[in-house]
Amino acid sequence: MSDWYAMNVVLIQTTLTTLLLALSIQVPIRFGVFSFAGVGAFGIGGYTAAIAMVHLGWTTWPSVALGAVLAGVVVFALGLVVQRLTGLYMGMATIAFTLIVSVVAVNGGELTGGPGGLFGALGEIDTGHILAVVVVVVAVLVWTEAKGMGRRVDTVREDPELATAMGIDVARYRLASFAISGVIGGLAGAITTLLRSTITPAEVNFHMVVLALTAIIVGGARSWLGAFIGAVIFVWLPTVISFVQEWEKVVYGFLVAVAAIYLPNGVLGLIKDLVHRLRTRQERARMAVLQEKG
Amino acid sequence: MAESAVGRQTALLAMEDVAVHFGGVKAVDGITLEMYEGNIYGVIGPNGSGKSTLLGAMTRLTPSTRGRFLLDGKDYTRVPARNVHRMGISRTFQTVRLLDDRSVRDNILLGLDALPKQTRKETAMQVDEVMERVGVREVAQLRPDELSYGMQRRVEFARAIIGRPRLLLLDEPTAGMNTAERKEIGKLMRQLCDEGITQFIVEHDVEMMVETCDYLFAMNVGKLIAEGEPQDVVRHPAVQEAYLGKGAAADA
Amino acid sequence: MQDLLNVVTLGSIYLLFALGMALVWGTIGILNFAHGATFMFSAFVGHLVTRETELPFLPVVAVSVLVGAAIAALTQLLAFQPILKRSKNQHAAEMRILIGGIGVAAIPLALAQHQTRSSPFGFNSSYDAEVMDVFGLRLTTTSAVIIVSGLAIGIGLTVWVRRSRQGLALRAIGVDAETAAGMGVNRTALAFGTMATAGALAGLAGALLTFQLGAIAPETGDQLLIKAFAIIVLGGLGSMAGTVIGAYVLAGAETLVLNLNYGTWVDAVSFGLIFLILLARPQGLLGRKEVRRT
Repeated sequence: MSDWYAMNVVLIQTTLTTLLLALSIQVPIRFGVFSFAGVGAFGIGGYTAAIAMVHLGWTTWPSVALGAVLAGVVVFALGLVVQRLTGLYMGMATIAFTLIVSVVAVNGGELTGGPGGLFGALGEIDTGHILAVVVVVVAVLVWTEAKGMGRRVDTVREDPELATAMGIDVARYRLASFAISGVIGGLAGAITTLLRSTITPAEVNFHMVVLALTAIIVGGARSWLGAFIGAVIFVWLPTVISFVQEWEKVVYGFLVAVAAIYLPNGVLGLIKDLVHRLRTRQERARMAVLQEKG
Repeated sequence: MAESAVGRQTALLAMEDVAVHFGGVKAVDGITLEMYEGNIYGVIGPNGSGKSTLLGAMTRLTPSTRGRFLLDGKDYTRVPARNVHRMGISRTFQTVRLLDDRSVRDNILLGLDALPKQTRKETAMQVDEVMERVGVREVAQLRPDELSYGMQRRVEFARAIIGRPRLLLLDEPTAGMNTAERKEIGKLMRQLCDEGITQFIVEHDVEMMVETCDYLFAMNVGKLIAEGEPQDVVRHPAVQEAYLGKGAAADA
Repeated sequence: MQDLLNVVTLGSIYLLFALGMALVWGTIGILNFAHGATFMFSAFVGHLVTRETELPFLPVVAVSVLVGAAIAALTQLLAFQPILKRSKNQHAAEMRILIGGIGVAAIPLALAQHQTRSSPFGFNSSYDAEVMDVFGLRLTTTSAVIIVSGLAIGIGLTVWVRRSRQGLALRAIGVDAETAAGMGVNRTALAFGTMATAGALAGLAGALLTFQLGAIAPETGDQLLIKAFAIIVLGGLGSMAGTVIGAYVLAGAETLVLNLNYGTWVDAVSFGLIFLILLARPQGLLGRKEVRRT
């Protein structure tokens, strides 16, 4: 076990940080907000943490906290500005926001290190620390998925008008999703950066949006567990199948397209459907009888 | 009966000169009406006469262009739509709008979500009772897409009544149901009415409306053309003309 | 004045690229995220073909146009059509089409990156651009072709969508798909044709830009995608004339920023424009207000 851990420590850490990034995109989508601002939050969190360490001489965790808080605040403010946009417009406005973050980083001079990025921000982070952060984040998300809260979130996403008619404050839920997405994205960026000691503007790009989307679309967009499944598939598949390694991006593109067409709820959705069908066999039989009578 | 109550008590719901315009289209144009507690009201009218829009405006989900809405004499025209449910006005929709990934039970519970918290036990009893009443208890764990259309409508009905609203707005509650199911729902409406839930129904089926309602409104092109006892309203010349003019005489 | 000419050339390239996207999005409601990849891969196939045999100008362009049309048609057939068939409402379909498009786009991009090791590629053509002197301004033949075809196709499409029967049918779909179906419009066939046309335009833009610059990188398509979105939003969704104007406005604004020595901020222009327009005038300069009743 410990040998296996030692050999794969980087992959394990990458799985966890990828999970955080994926969650920062998944949360708004689950709330019916097509926002990619989580990737911008990744950039803000990463840069803030690195700046705090390099320029201000802060220690690891205050830097991470500052990155997460600032990312949360900025993305929440973005939410206030763009909340009236719908669907695709929201998606594109938030992609634009994310790309602006990287343009600002390029032009940040000494503070951000310009196009070359910022170096030497090596934090003291081990797998246990990341795991602790992930557990806290997941605990919060489990709460938003459970029972009544999960039902209200589902309604806000699937049918905002119905949600309003049922007395749910749709705008408040959506704004909250911006803040949560910002904090989680900021955490992902800060931890990833301090783990690797560097961040560059080129990282905060469209490819990262694709990466995060891949994980949640393939895994499942409705639950943190889906994002986890996606992150595991995404990080470990290349190590298991060498064909995947060489044609990595082709395989992911293919997986995303296939999932979008055939598995809108991802692998997790498929599993849940199966479980549901098994559990309700009797009821469905009764229903069939009812319908014949009717 | 409705008219005996007029003038004695405050109307449960009153509308004064309400209009809803979409751009140049006057979907609802200057409607004034009152509804009193303990009755079943219905509105009939040809397709596109503004019935559903009127219902939408009462819930404030559809913004009105002018006019006032009063509940118990209190103006709620400026209350946000999300607070109307809490005030005791509940509704169903013309098309089935259920959460596909959630069980029947969960879908019904949505009707309680924004209302004051109760204990878990109370909630469970309430949802069981309401499922029993509308006849979906047997399929509580199934998802809407595994149910027949009529069943789905019952789930919607259950979601609308579980919070025991004071005013229940029903948009074509029996569309897609067979005759037996219609009878059943009609009976349920009467029971609910006896329990003090005032109802406002939008329907095409004039026959059923005459049977079920205590008081009828008739609409055409956004305006009220008649109101009163169901039998009288149906025979009203303006109503006859509205239906015959649209070539829908068979309905009436 | 030379600047103005450069703006017109740049704007015409943007226009050729954006027209296809605008056509598809404004009519059949599909925001095709694979448009950039289609653009790039058409030029890439041109590159592969000319690596075997040297070809003159027109055959290279023809190859790219055909490849572009083929890729777009395949995307429609294999991805978007199945998604539309499986989605229960327009809102859900929009999201899945966007995600599916991102997946589809990753495939040609990865293939080209794999082949070229992410370095720029060009054509091996017998064509050599000549420099002409027009009223004292320097104008290459390639620029002339780009300007003329950009304007001609832009204006042509504007008129066609406004006047012709198919154009009317397309606009009907753009406004209200259900009514259009009631009018007997064959949505599937029209969508297929529209996508192929858009793909052909992407191929044309790809070939012309490669001739103009000498070489393009596999990632060029992605950058243009965001710019095209800015252009469409600026002009107003559903308005072809708006797209024409938007393309030149964006080119002008970018050139201005460049000339003011803020070169590293150029990309922020389109992102910033997206933001400003979406917030200040969501229907764009010439767009119709969305008349949608739910």
